[in-house]
Amino acid sequence: MMAAQQPLPNSQAPLDVYGGDEVSALVLDAGYCHTRAGFAGEDVPKSVLPSFYGSIKTSNSDSTTTTYRDIFGDECLYPRGDFEVKNYMSRSESVVEDWDAATKMWEHMLIKRLQPDREMPPIIKNGPSEPAADGEDVAMEDVENHEKPLAENPLLMTEAPWNTGKAREKAIEIAMENWGCPAFWMSRTPVCAAFAAGKASALVIDVGGANTSVTAIHDGMILKRSIQKSPVGGLWLSQQIRTMWDNNEPKVNVVPYFMIENKTPVDAGAPAQARLRKFAFDITPSYRAYEEERLLTEFKESVVEVWRGPGRYLNPGNEELVKSQPGRVFEMPDGWNQMWREQRYRVSEGMWDENAALPNPDGSGKAQTIPEMIKACLSAVDVDLRPNLLGNVVVTGGTSLLNGFNDRLNNELMAMHPGMKIKLHAAGLTTERRFGSWIGGSILASLGTFHQMWISRKEYEENGVGIVEKRCK
Amino acid sequence: MASHDVRDVLNLPSEGAGPRPTKKQKTSAARPNLKGLAREVQSLGGDNPIAIVPEISTFKKRRFGSRKPAARWEMSAFCNSARGDQSLQLRHWKKETEDQSRATSQPQSDGQTPGENGMEVAKKTDAVEDSSFAKFNVEVDVPQYSEDQYNSNLLSDDWAKHETDYLFGLARDFDLRWPLIWDRYDYTPQSPGNVKEEKDVDGTDPNTAMIPAPKPRTLEDLKKRYYEVAAKMMAVQKPVQYMTQAEFSLHETMANFNPVSEMQRKKFAQDALSRSTDEAREEEQLLIEVRRIVARQQKLNQERQDLYRRLDFPLTEQDITSFKSSAGLSTLLQNLATADRSKKRKPILDINVANTPGSAQPSAQPNSTPVSEGRRESIAASIGGHRDSIGGGERPERPTKKGAQQQQERKKLTEQEEQIYGVSHHDRLPSGPTFRYERINKILTTKSNAQHQRITNTLAELDIPGRLNMPTRNVVEGMEKLLNSISVLLEIRKLNDKLDGEIRLEQAKKAERKKTGTTIGASGSEGSSGPASANTNEATNRTNGENTGLTSANKESNDDDRPTSKPTTNGAVNGEKYELTNGHDAKSSEQANAENREDKSMRPASSGGYKRSASVLSGVSEKSIKRLKK
Repeated sequence: MMAAQQPLPNSQAPLDVYGGDEVSALVLDAGYCHTRAGFAGEDVPKSVLPSFYGSIKTSNSDSTTTTYRDIFGDECLYPRGDFEVKNYMSRSESVVEDWDAATKMWEHMLIKRLQPDREMPPIIKNGPSEPAADGEDVAMEDVENHEKPLAENPLLMTEAPWNTGKAREKAIEIAMENWGCPAFWMSRTPVCAAFAAGKASALVIDVGGANTSVTAIHDGMILKRSIQKSPVGGLWLSQQIRTMWDNNEPKVNVVPYFMIENKTPVDAGAPAQARLRKFAFDITPSYRAYEEERLLTEFKESVVEVWRGPGRYLNPGNEELVKSQPGRVFEMPDGWNQMWREQRYRVSEGMWDENAALPNPDGSGKAQTIPEMIKACLSAVDVDLRPNLLGNVVVTGGTSLLNGFNDRLNNELMAMHPGMKIKLHAAGLTTERRFGSWIGGSILASLGTFHQMWISRKEYEENGVGIVEKRCK
Repeated sequence: MASHDVRDVLNLPSEGAGPRPTKKQKTSAARPNLKGLAREVQSLGGDNPIAIVPEISTFKKRRFGSRKPAARWEMSAFCNSARGDQSLQLRHWKKETEDQSRATSQPQSDGQTPGENGMEVAKKTDAVEDSSFAKFNVEVDVPQYSEDQYNSNLLSDDWAKHETDYLFGLARDFDLRWPLIWDRYDYTPQSPGNVKEEKDVDGTDPNTAMIPAPKPRTLEDLKKRYYEVAAKMMAVQKPVQYMTQAEFSLHETMANFNPVSEMQRKKFAQDALSRSTDEAREEEQLLIEVRRIVARQQKLNQERQDLYRRLDFPLTEQDITSFKSSAGLSTLLQNLATADRSKKRKPILDINVANTPGSAQPSAQPNSTPVSEGRRESIAASIGGHRDSIGGGERPERPTKKGAQQQQERKKLTEQEEQIYGVSHHDRLPSGPTFRYERINKILTTKSNAQHQRITNTLAELDIPGRLNMPTRNVVEGMEKLLNSISVLLEIRKLNDKLDGEIRLEQAKKAERKKTGTTIGASGSEGSSGPASANTNEATNRTNGENTGLTSANKESNDDDRPTSKPTTNGAVNGEKYELTNGHDAKSSEQANAENREDKSMRPASSGGYKRSASVLSGVSEKSIKRLKK
């Protein structure tokens, strides 16, 4: 690429083809499961960390007060004592819930991971008795008298379409006050996902970890009335799998990997023969839940499949057909394994058919299905736009990588709108699907025509935090 | 990855000529170094040695040698004039321009005027460069109005000024993207008392209690208001009579915006979107049907027009006496026919021309296929006869004019010698070499598919492969002959079948007649049937003999193939025929018919002989029909 580009003099540079003009902007895309950060203009985020962070309880010398030390990054999430796993995002909304932790997390990603080392004043530790050489990532504290860490990098952040005005103002405040960004912009995730697919108008179906959203985008702007949100996402699917495992005969015992010391292979269905690890400390339920979720993710990736249609999975005959076809074997960390046939279709069917959802113990089984969301989304959009939206359906989000998802979605759309031209755009690369909105943000922030959009520092100082509502519509 | 790409990435010169030969030398030199390897393993690599140790040193040297000095890039600040505030200066990497690099690296060796160069550098440094993307910023022109203008022109019962302002603000914000304007339209009405201090309204204001509920606005309402205001403002700024054409048409469109028809259109669109699968399919079919009807209508119109044109003859001033005689008429007809043919229409004269003796059809059938078939048959027969008469080594299409030349050549070589040396004479050679068997293929491919199938079936019955194993000249010629005979035979059999059917029909009629005759006078029927049958039988035999003579060519070729099958099958078929002609009533003839068919199907191997009998029968049937007609 470089060799091909270098001989071109500036005057001949094909600006009309590649409208990029990179100003070393940073792009931050926060989700419930993962937070992605990187430089604009790149095709993949440099830093992808789970939005889950660890919180270690440290007791001070006077054992009356306890403080928590937060650590970030998946490499820190290993079994240890007095260790809670938390998430700074809200699961039901996919927006920031804990702003202190969010700030620390983002600083860890944007400054510690993506900025060159600077001359730093001695880091102020949380507690005086803190061991100095811990070797772990320690969240950097704001240093008021220090040079602003991101003074050279404009920052583009993404947000859920239903994000509140308060949260947006808080975000620009952090970027401007704490980090000293020269410019800032907030963009909605569906808009970015549409840009990543190369479309300005699209119907974006974002099937993420905590939520699924269906949104209509017109000319790079979100149509607010069309926003549909449902918990039918990765975590909901995990819950369905857990219910399925609980009802299985025999009941599936979920033992995450970290608890297994060794195991011996057993036949399918035979009881597991594994020795569990003993820990000198208690494993907190939050850490165990995090690890179990990882196991469930593996199950989703390797076993779960979406009934491709036509028709619903529960229609007579389909289940018998699936039973006659080869299943998939999944081996638990403790060696217990079983062939999954019809169940692997059943767990995902709740995304499409409300009646197929397995009842969860907490009664949260039913949720708005994807076809219903699409229907509701389209009905809230002007009729003239609907054909165009159906011709530009963008599928993004990690959970949309389920086997057969696109086929089913296409079938459902065809059934809903016969005689219409329906075209799905789903990226083939898993990274493009998982980081769709980040990539769109990366494209947006590296465009030459985007420079006029940035909210500059001066504008922020003149207008205050309210400018983000005025500008980022 | 192609080697070109690798070169590109590594920044090597793109011409492959440079490094190639040297590399070869290197490989031969490197050979002895690979001592640890078995010989067999080394030889696996062929000419290229197995790369165990990459020779980095030479590679690196060449790479750096061929490289141009690296381009200089600088981090330069720029601003964007399209921005509302000019304070934001972003920085991007930019290639150092020529004069800049020259000025910095070698300022003393500057040949040009130093003042100009210096000025340019100065301009670069003090004026921050504007983004090249600023020019892409375009804004929609949204009409403006003042307070007075609003009060004088734009007052509306439905729309307060405040809401109109709000609408125009949205239109400006969203660049007249109506779906977005409608989507974000969230107007909170202002109490009529304090329109001015709209920003100062707080919840405690007693006036807010009187705020009217916000009207739900449809997209059409918004458009209507906007277009109304825009059209009026346009007229205010420039009276209608002074507008240019474009302006006037824009004004007209905006002034005549009809929200009702828009709504109706949208309702239709909605209905179209919410169709069920069946409805959609039905509509699709209807559309296809409509298209077909329209196309048919067009075709009909065109044909009608053609007809009119034909009927609409030009008035001639020429003397028409020349056409009054039969000779004149025939020339006129000929002219018309040629004109017709040039139009690529079905020839008018076809029916007249096709009246060849081979197709002496008793029934003048209206469709033209039997006629043309008869023609082809006669042509095929003539070709076959021609070939047989010439024989030997000439091509069948050879005209007799070439005889003189041939004789000249004969003086040089005797026939035997010619055969020995494989000399052959052609009047016309196709360009380039061809295979002999292609001649066979050509015969087959020129036939229609069904005919082709029949010929191959016949060949299969004869146990002759369709593709010749050893296409020597003699074999090919023999094959050609055989194929032609087969096609003649097939034609004749077809004709025969047809005539058979007709005979049967006539017989059935006759039997019917006879039956009625017997019911009237039962005594006369037996006596009359006796001589008649004898007659036909006799005729059969006689014509049989005649026909054998006529189709001697056929026989010759067929006798070579299967001489033994002839008498038995011939006799058998004749016997059947006899039975048929003697049939007393329709039922018995039908039975015999069935038998006949069974017989045919059960005796596939004897087709060679049977064909001949078929040709014989065709002659018989003709005569017998004639007799019956009498």
